[in-house]
Amino acid sequence: MKGLTQFCMDIRNSRDAQEEHKRICTEINTLKGKFTSSTNGSTRKRNVCKLLYIYLLGYNEVKEIGLRESMKLISSSVYSEKKLGYLTLGILLDHENNQTTKEYLDGLLDTTYPYLVKDLQANNDEFNCLAIEFIASSLNVSIDENFVVNPIINDSNENAADWLEITDLVYSFCCSPIHSPVIKKKASLALLCLIKIYPNVILSNNNWILRLLNLIESEDFGVVLSAVPLVDILIHLSPQYVKSVVPMIATLLHDLVVRDKCPIDQYYYDTPAPWLCIELLSLIEKCFLLTEIDRDGQQSPVILVTDIDTNSLGKLRSVVARYIHNASQKIKGQQNRNAQSAILFQVVSLIVFLDASKEAIEGAIHALVLLLDSKETNTRYLSLDALIKLIARSSVGLQPSSISARFEQHLSKIFILLLDKDISVRRKALDLLYTVCNSENYIPIVQKLIEYFPSSDFILKNEIAVKIAVMAENFATDSAWYIQTMLKLLSLGGGNPNGTSYIGDEVWVRIVQIVVNNENLHSPACESIVNLLLSDTDGASGKAGVPENLLKVAAFILGEYGHLIANESDISSLSNQFQLLLSAYFSSSLVTRAMLLSTFFKFTIRFPDEDFVPDVIDLFEAETQSIDVEIQTRACEYLRLATVESNKNLALAVVKPLPAFDRKENPLLTRLGNVNAISNPKRSNSAVNALQIAQEGSHKNNLLGLNEQNRSSNHLGVNSISSSSLASTSRKNSMYQPRRTSNIDNPFEDGNSEQVPLSPNWQSGYQRMRHYDAGIFFENQFIKIVYRTIRDGPRTEYHFTIINNAAKTAGTPITKLRVLDIHSKASKENPSYLASTTKLPDATVIDKTEFVVETKVREILSDSDSPVISMTLTCGGSFNHLALKIPVSLLKTVTGTSTTLEDFKIRWIQIGQQLGQAEGEESIHISPPHRLVSSNIARLMTRIGFTVVYNTPDNEGNILVMSAGIIHTSKSNYGVLITTKSVDAIGKEFLIVIRCTGGGLATLLAQSLREILEDRAT
Amino acid sequence: MAIQFILLLSRQGKMRLSRWYQTVSQKEKAKITKELTTLILSRRTKMCSVLEYKEIKIVYRRYASLFFVTGIEQNDNELLALETMHRFVEHMDKHYGNVCELDIIFGFEQAYHILDELILDGYVHESSKKEVLRRVSQQDELENMDEFDNILT
Repeated sequence: MKGLTQFCMDIRNSRDAQEEHKRICTEINTLKGKFTSSTNGSTRKRNVCKLLYIYLLGYNEVKEIGLRESMKLISSSVYSEKKLGYLTLGILLDHENNQTTKEYLDGLLDTTYPYLVKDLQANNDEFNCLAIEFIASSLNVSIDENFVVNPIINDSNENAADWLEITDLVYSFCCSPIHSPVIKKKASLALLCLIKIYPNVILSNNNWILRLLNLIESEDFGVVLSAVPLVDILIHLSPQYVKSVVPMIATLLHDLVVRDKCPIDQYYYDTPAPWLCIELLSLIEKCFLLTEIDRDGQQSPVILVTDIDTNSLGKLRSVVARYIHNASQKIKGQQNRNAQSAILFQVVSLIVFLDASKEAIEGAIHALVLLLDSKETNTRYLSLDALIKLIARSSVGLQPSSISARFEQHLSKIFILLLDKDISVRRKALDLLYTVCNSENYIPIVQKLIEYFPSSDFILKNEIAVKIAVMAENFATDSAWYIQTMLKLLSLGGGNPNGTSYIGDEVWVRIVQIVVNNENLHSPACESIVNLLLSDTDGASGKAGVPENLLKVAAFILGEYGHLIANESDISSLSNQFQLLLSAYFSSSLVTRAMLLSTFFKFTIRFPDEDFVPDVIDLFEAETQSIDVEIQTRACEYLRLATVESNKNLALAVVKPLPAFDRKENPLLTRLGNVNAISNPKRSNSAVNALQIAQEGSHKNNLLGLNEQNRSSNHLGVNSISSSSLASTSRKNSMYQPRRTSNIDNPFEDGNSEQVPLSPNWQSGYQRMRHYDAGIFFENQFIKIVYRTIRDGPRTEYHFTIINNAAKTAGTPITKLRVLDIHSKASKENPSYLASTTKLPDATVIDKTEFVVETKVREILSDSDSPVISMTLTCGGSFNHLALKIPVSLLKTVTGTSTTLEDFKIRWIQIGQQLGQAEGEESIHISPPHRLVSSNIARLMTRIGFTVVYNTPDNEGNILVMSAGIIHTSKSNYGVLITTKSVDAIGKEFLIVIRCTGGGLATLLAQSLREILEDRAT
Repeated sequence: MAIQFILLLSRQGKMRLSRWYQTVSQKEKAKITKELTTLILSRRTKMCSVLEYKEIKIVYRRYASLFFVTGIEQNDNELLALETMHRFVEHMDKHYGNVCELDIIFGFEQAYHILDELILDGYVHESSKKEVLRRVSQQDELENMDEFDNILT
C-alpha cells in the first residue's frame, strides 16, 4: 500500500485547498487508466483503496468506476480482495436522493444477488461472514412503524423469490448447530435487516420463530447480544411469544447479576457484561410496553406483571434490587461508574413495570439523587433524566403525594441544579421540577422558578414561563394567588417594545381567558394590574418601561373591568388608569398600541363624562395619521363612533361586555415540548386530582369559571392530551405499531387453532388423562412426561413431571426446555375455561423437572375446546417442538353423590318433568372396541368420578349401570344421572341415557362419554 | 438500542471516519455532518456529552484531537453509547498500539474493520474485548497470507 500512503502524505502536505484539489484530480485521471481487464488482483486492490480514499474526501465522481471495480473484487476468490470489494461497495452504495427505499433495495439486489448467494453457499466461513456482514450493513433501511402491513417487499414482488433465497440462507446460519458463534451473531443481525424488509418470510415459516427465540439462550455472549434485537422484532411480530421470552431473560439476568456467572472476558472493567445486561433490561421493558389491539379496538398491554410466573418475577426483582444496591456503593474509575450508572438508568425505567414496592422506588430515587452530586456533567444530566422517567411513570399506581412528599427533601438539590454550569442540565432540572410538581408542592416550586426567571438563560425563558403557567393553572386552589403569580411572571419577563419577548403570546392570552371567565377574579385582577403598572412606571425612569405582555393584559382587563375598582381609591380611579396606560402608550409596540386604542375607546363610550375623554379623542385624531394601517383603521373607526352622535347606540353595542371563552383545551399544553412527551398517565392523574380537590374544596379552583360540565371537560381535555402523548411515547418506545390489524398477515390470530399441528402420538396421553387421574402423558426417545391430576371442584391442577429419557441411553441432558404457551381454544372474551401455567419447568433437565398447569372450568363447555400445550426442548443438538393436547373437560369436575337407588329414580323423573326430554335428556348408542361387563362400566364411571348407584351383577346377561354425580363450574353446579344399558347380549353395544339439570349439558356429556368408551380422541 | 451513526471528527472539523447504520442520502449525511461539526466543536469541555438533535440524541466524547460522535435513538442508553465508543478506542489502542489520529487516517481500513467487529447494523454484537481483537488479527493474517501468495506467484 505504498502508493496509497504516499498519496495520503501528498494530500496532507498540500499547502492549500487548491493544491489538494489539483493533486486529487491528477490521481483520479491516472487511476481511470489503470483499470483494464488484465489488471491483476493486488494492483486493482491498491487502486480501489485510493478511489475509496478520494471518495471519502468528498469526490463523488469516482463512485461509478469504484462500483464497477469493487464488483470485480468481490468475485475474486482471494480473501483480501473480496473483503475490500464488499467494504468499498458498502461505502459507495448510497441511497440516492430521488430514490425510494424499494428502488434502492431492488437496485442493490440486482447488482449483488449472484455474488451474495455464491458467497453464502460457499464452503468457507470467512466468505460467508463477508456476505452476511454486507447484508447487515447495507440492507439496514429505516422502516416505518407499520412495516408489517406495508412491507417494502411482499410475496407479489417479482424478486421475492430472490429475497426468500437469501433470507433462507441467512436463517440457516442462525440456527445451524455446526456454525461458529462468529457467524451466528452476524447472521442474526443480518436476518433482522431482512425481516424488516420482507416480514412475511418469517410469518409464513412459523417454526422459525421458536428456533430463533432459542438463540437468546446460547452459550456465547456475542450471539445472545445479537439475538436481542432479533427477539425484539419477533415478539412484535407475534406477541404470543412474549410470555415465554420473559422467563428466559429473567434467568439470564439473574445468572449474570445475582449469581455472578459472568465469564471474565465479558467484564467491562469491574462491571459484568454491561452491554448484555442493558439490552436484556430494555428488552423486558419493551415486552411490557408491547400493546395489541383487543376485540374492542382498545390497545391493551400484551403482558402484565401478573402474567409472569412468580419465580421469574422474583428473579427480576432481585436483579433490580442488586443493581440499586450497587449504585449506592462507591465505585472507582470513570468507566466503571459510567457503566454502573448506565445500568441503573435502565433499571429505573423498568422498575415501575415490575409492580415494585414503594420502598424499591424510593431506593431507586435515593440512588439517583445521590448521583446528582456527581462531578461529571453527564451523570448529573442523565440522573435528572432518569428521575423524570421514574417519577412520571411511578405515579401511575401510587398515590402521587406519597412519592412527591418524600421528594420534598430533594427539591433544594434540584433548585441548585437550576444554576448548573451546563444549560442541558439546567433544562433537565426544569423538566424534573415540572414533573414532580403536584397539588402539595406547587407553591414552593412556582415561587422558586419565578425567582429564578430573571437570571435564567434567554432560550429557557419561554419554556420556564409556559411551565409556570401550566403548573399554576393545574394545581392552584387559590385564584388570587394564581392571578398574582401570573402577573408577577409577566411583569418580570414581559418583553420590550421592539416586540422581543421571552414569553410567548399563549401565556398572556391564557391569563386573559381565565380572568374573563372568572367573575370573582375581575376586580382583584384589576387591582393587581394597577399596582404593577404603578410600580413599573415609578421605577421606569431608568428602565425600559412597562413590560409588553403585562401591558397587553392590562389593556384587555382594565378596558373590560377597570370600572369595577374605579371608586375604591384615587389611584384606581378611571382617569388614573387612563393616565397609566397612556404614559405607556408611546413606548409600546404597534400591536399593543392597537389594543390600547380599543381600551381607550371602551372607556370613552362607557363613561362619556370622565374628564379624560377629550384626550382620548385627541389621540384618535392624531393616530388617524399613523403609518401603521391597523392603528390608523382603528383610530378612524373609533373616532367616528365616538364623535358622531347618531352612532351612539352602535358604539354601545360594539363595547358590550365579553362573553366567557369556551375554549376547553389549554393551548399551553402543546408548548410543553419534551416533558409532555414523556409524561404519561401521571399528568392525567394530577389533572384528575386537581379536579377532585376542586370538588372537595370550594368553587375557587374553577379558574376557567365555566359551568361544571365544561370544566370537567376541560380536565378531560388535559387527560386526552396526556393519554395521546402516552400513546406516542409507547409508540416511540416500541418502534412499531401494534399489529393485528389484518388477519391475513397474522397466522397466529386467536381462534386459528388449526394452525397448531399436534405432535404425533398425542392421542394416547390425551385419552389416558380423560380416563385416569395419573399416568404417562407423552413419551418419545428424549423425554417422558407423566402427570398427576388434583381435582378441586371446577379447578383442576395437572402436575407434569418431565423425565429425561436420553439420560439413560445417551447421557445427554435436555436443555432449553420451555413451556411456550397454552393455546386455549376458548373464546377470548368470556372464556368457557381458563388455563395457565402456574409453575414453569427448569430449562435444563439432567434427571427430571416438574411443571404445573391449572385449569378452571367457568361454564359448560365441549371437550373439543381443550387447550394445546406447546413446548420446545433441545437434546443432543436436535431441536424439538411438542404440541400436546390436554383435556379440559366437564367430566374432570365431577364429584360423586351418595344417592340411593330410590333417590336416583325420583330425581330421574323430576328432571324429565322439569326440562323435558329435548333439553334435559340425551341417549346415545355406543359400541366400545372391546367387550365390557357390568363391573367394567362401573369401574370406569367411578374412575371418571361418578358414584355408581346400582349395577347388575357380572353374571347377568342384561347389563344395567346407574351412576350419579355433580358437575362443578364456576358459574353453577349441575346434577347428572346416567344409566347404561346393554343392547346386545355380548356387551359390545350399549345405550347410554343421560339426564342433567342443566339444559344442553346432557348432549355434551354424551359426546365425551362416547369418546371415552369408544376410545376415540378428537 | 440501535446506533444511527458513528462519526470521527478532527478538531479542525475534518471527517476521519464515518459509519451510517441507516440509509440516508448523501446530501442528508453531509447536512447532518456539517450541523453536528459546528455544534460539537463549539461546545466547551466541561459540558455534558449528550445533546438532543432533531429526533435523536447525540453522544460525543473527545479523545485527544478526535471527537467520537454517535447518534442514538431517543430511548437508548446514553452512557452505554459513551462506553461503546470507549470500547472502540480501547480496541484501536490495542490494535495499533497507542492509537493516534494518523493511525486512523492511514489505516482507515483497519479502523473500519475493528468497528465492524464491534458494531453491526447499529447493534453492539460482541462485548468481549478478546474476541474482537482475535477476529481482527485473524483476518489480518488471512490478508497477509494473500499478500504472501501474491508475491510467490
